[in-house]
Parts: sequence; structure tokens; C-alpha cells
Amino acid sequence: MATIPVATTAPSGRRTLMAYLPYLLVAPSVILLLGLIAYPLVFALKNSFYFWNLQTSATPVGFVGFANYRMVLESPEFFSSLINTLILTISGTALEFGLGLAIALLLATRLKGMSVARALLIMPTTIAPIVVGFLFRYMYDPQGGIITWLMASIGLDLPVQGILGSTNTSLLAILIADVWQWTPFFAIILYAGLLSVPVSLLEAARLDGASAWVLFWRIKFPFIMRTALIILILRFMQLFNTFDLVLVLTRGGPGTSSRTLGYTLYQQGLIDFNIGMASATTWLVVIIVNAIVGLYIFFAFRKWEW
Amino acid sequence: MESHTRPLRRLVIYALLALMMLFFIGPIIWFVLLAIRPPATAFATPPVLLFEPTADAIWHTLVDPGANAKQARNSLIVALGAVLLNLPFSVPAAYSLSRFRLRSKKFIMLWYLGLLMAPPIAFLIPYFVLMTQIGLSGTYLSMILVLQTLIIPFSVWLMKSFIDEVPRELEEAARVDGASWHVIMLRITLPLVRPGLIVTSMFAFVFAWNNAAFPLVLSSQQTATLPIGTLNYFASTGVTWSFIATAAVVAMLPPMLIFLVFDRYVVRGLTFGAVKG
Repeated sequence: MATIPVATTAPSGRRTLMAYLPYLLVAPSVILLLGLIAYPLVFALKNSFYFWNLQTSATPVGFVGFANYRMVLESPEFFSSLINTLILTISGTALEFGLGLAIALLLATRLKGMSVARALLIMPTTIAPIVVGFLFRYMYDPQGGIITWLMASIGLDLPVQGILGSTNTSLLAILIADVWQWTPFFAIILYAGLLSVPVSLLEAARLDGASAWVLFWRIKFPFIMRTALIILILRFMQLFNTFDLVLVLTRGGPGTSSRTLGYTLYQQGLIDFNIGMASATTWLVVIIVNAIVGLYIFFAFRKWEW
Repeated sequence: MESHTRPLRRLVIYALLALMMLFFIGPIIWFVLLAIRPPATAFATPPVLLFEPTADAIWHTLVDPGANAKQARNSLIVALGAVLLNLPFSVPAAYSLSRFRLRSKKFIMLWYLGLLMAPPIAFLIPYFVLMTQIGLSGTYLSMILVLQTLIIPFSVWLMKSFIDEVPRELEEAARVDGASWHVIMLRITLPLVRPGLIVTSMFAFVFAWNNAAFPLVLSSQQTATLPIGTLNYFASTGVTWSFIATAAVVAMLPPMLIFLVFDRYVVRGLTFGAVKG
């Protein structure tokens, strides 16, 4: 290779460019994204202090201080939807993780046909949540839905209003649809994590007489921890923000029995057109979400290597 | 390991597997059947498993989705547009974050990740008002633009993981030969990372294709995408289930095909490159 004399004193303009280059390459995406998210946040912050119903006025009507926030915090819908969201999010994430891990261990037996099963298994996750909503709405139908029919055939007492029409089962119905869609997501990702466990390590432990239980918790689990940390928070937040499934399945009803924070926002902003109140709710949600994500990232990603 | 598995154990595992597949794949097949079955059997009790699908229905579902054709085209325009617009922003960013030392690298990466977890519904109302005010409401551009909040962070993460895998030696050699950074990036690294670019674009496409939140408030009758189409069928004349099912099948097919074709990369795509799979 020919050696090229390296200029010891590069023109200063070029040197500055090279120093800033890494940032210049990142800048366009950051600037575009900042613009796209700053606008809604500022818009919501400003309007959360105004009375504004889009049905009666095209512009904000008057400054009301913290009245919108007070109204949101005093409305029973906000707290019941916060509770519903937490129930849905925590139980959904836990169920999907647990079932997914069980399936991952099943796939990891590597019997014949497992790779085909794995490729097909992910299909529910590829479907748009709105479509998943319709899939389950069809199956939950009180007259002739296949889930209703199956449940009745095995002698379960179903609510007369239908699975989606009863305050006792509406949230559960949404949970089941979500578990159906996202359990495969956990299963195939955790399965990939299990495959990354070095075989030599497992063999060595087995020779030392380690039981399957010890093998799993002491060797396999630490290997999938890193993976699990990422997908748990991702799914937790997606579930926390769910509104499309709710929109198709129950519209938050009956009453407020299956209303989530996401759906409450949808209701306030895009059905009631109460922009002031929706803006206040937006900021409350943004604060809650940031607190959860921030805390999680701080603790889970501390030892992360970049 | 296979040889150790006793027959009984194997039987139990396969039984569990069959049950699992029935649970996860059964509902999809059941819904596809809804699209092609005679409407009278849609809600029959007990459920009708065997029926003669009308040739007409199969034709409508698979070949010519009729009223859905326009919505399928809209979905395609929006998703393709979102992926294409994202490339000039995310490719340089992914390259920089993979190759250079940035003081705030960790912060920037986590910021992108945070965007992927932002509640979409919180942005809908402001975007709706903004796009109406600047006259972009109902246009493809409004949806393509707003989708960048998801597509760019996703692509940067996934693409960075692919660029990380390209050995630096070639770049070093070119640098010694006096090639400037843009020649190195465009002529050496990007061609090597082409498979990664394709995989990233494919999964970004699915991401955009399946998004219903933004079109829900930004699309018009003329630019409605498939998921919005199913909602419209649902809202208009009561529930027209065969219409919903055909639109839904058309909406389901492209993501499923992409996931099957890029099977090897599915884990990576779903975790934004964080898990190599």
C-alpha cells in the first residue's frame, strides 16, 4: 500500500468539520423529531390552561388556570381509567412474559418441527391491533361467536349481555386479546435468548449434577435477563398506551369498566372535542409515562454497554 | 439432546405444541374463513367449519378487494412514503452513532428509544389541529411526516446494529488511502450493509403499515388506510362483517409475508436490533 504523506497541519476549516461531523450526521433526525414532538407538547401545555371546546370555537376561549387539571383529577373517569390501565398493563405484561417464557422453553427442546412452529407462532404479533380487535370482537359475539359458543359448551356461565357487554368481563376480554397477540412476541425473543446460552456451560453444569431447576435459574435465566429487560419495558409502555384495541372491542364500556387512560384521552379529545381537558390529561399521562420510563431506564440500563 | 428425549415426554411436548398452535393460529384462520364464507354461516351455532366458499368471495378477498383496493393503495403509499422519507435522516444518524465517538451517544440512543414508548394518543389532538390549520389534514404527507416520530427512532436503532457488524478494517484502509468520510460512508460501508438496510426498511414498512392511530385523525375519506377502512365499515351501516374481514385479510397479508420471508431477522427487528437472534 502506498504511503501517502499525511498533512500535519490540516486546514482548520476541515478539522472543525471533522470534529463536528458525528453531530452533523445525527442532527437532521434529531431536529426533525424535536420539531415533531415539541409542537404537540407545547400545544398541549398551553391549551391545558385554556377553556377550549372545538365544537363551539375554533380557537381557545379563555385562560382558566389549573381548572382543567382540577376537573380531570376530580373526575371519577380519570382514576377508574388509571386503575384499569394499571391492571391491564401489569397483568398483561406478567402473563405475556410468563406464558412466553414457557413456550420458549418448549421450543428450546428443539424437537423436529419446532422451527416451523416458531416461524408461524409470531403471526399474531404481525397483525395491526385494530384488526386484532375485530378478530376478537367476532369471536366474542354473544350470538354465534366461537369463543362464546366454546365457553357455553363447556358449561361456563356467561353474562347475558355477552362477554364484552358485561362490566365483569369487559376488561378481561381486552386482556385476553392482548395476551393472544403479544405472548408470541415474548416467546420467540426469549427463545432466541435461550439459544445464546453456550452449550458447553450447560454440559458442564449437567456433569456437576445440576437439576433442571438450578440449570434454568442459575445459567439460562441470567443469559436472557438483558433481553428480558428491554422487551418488558417496551411491552409495558405499549400496553400502558393502548387505545386501539379498546376502541374496537368495548369503547371503554360498559360504563367505564374497560376504559383505559389512552381511551379516556381519545374520548375527551376526539369525541367530546374538549381540547382543554384533553390537553391537561395529556400532560398528566406524559408525566406518568416519563416517570416510569425514566426510572426503569435509569435502573435497568445502568450497566449497559454501547 | 434429541436422542435423550423419551417417547412419552416427546408426546407430551407435541401435544402442548399442537394446543399452542391451535390457540395462536386458529383465530387467524377463523377470521380468514369469515372473509370467504357464505354470510349466512358467519354466526351459525354450532359453528360451521366446512362450507363451500363462493368463488366470488375468494376472488374479492385475494385478488380484487373491491372497495378495499383504494385503501390498500393508500396504506401502501403512506407506508412506502414513511420508509423512504426516513432513510436520509436515519442512515447518517445510524452511521454516526455506530462509527464515531459522540459524547452524548447513550443519551441520544435512549432518547430515540423513549420516543418509541411515547403515548401516540397524546399527540393525536395537537397534530389534528396543526394539520387542519396548515391545510395538510387529509393528505398522505401529513401521515408520512408524523409517522417519522416512530419510524426514524426504530430505523436508527435497527440500522446501527447492522452497521456495528461491518468490520472497520476496510474503512481504515480507505482512510489511509486518503478517501474522505462521505466516500467511505457511501461507497464502502453502505454497500456492505445493504442487507441490513433492506431488513430495516421491511420492518419499518410493517410498523408504518400497521399504524392506525395517525391515519385515524389525519386521513380523509380519500386517503383512509386499511385499518381505518375496517373501522369505517364497522361504523357506517351497522356491522358488515364480511366487509370488515376482507379488508382485515388484505391488511394482514403483507406483514405476515414479510415476517415469513425475513424469518431470520424477526427477533432482531422486534427488538430494534438489541437482540441479535
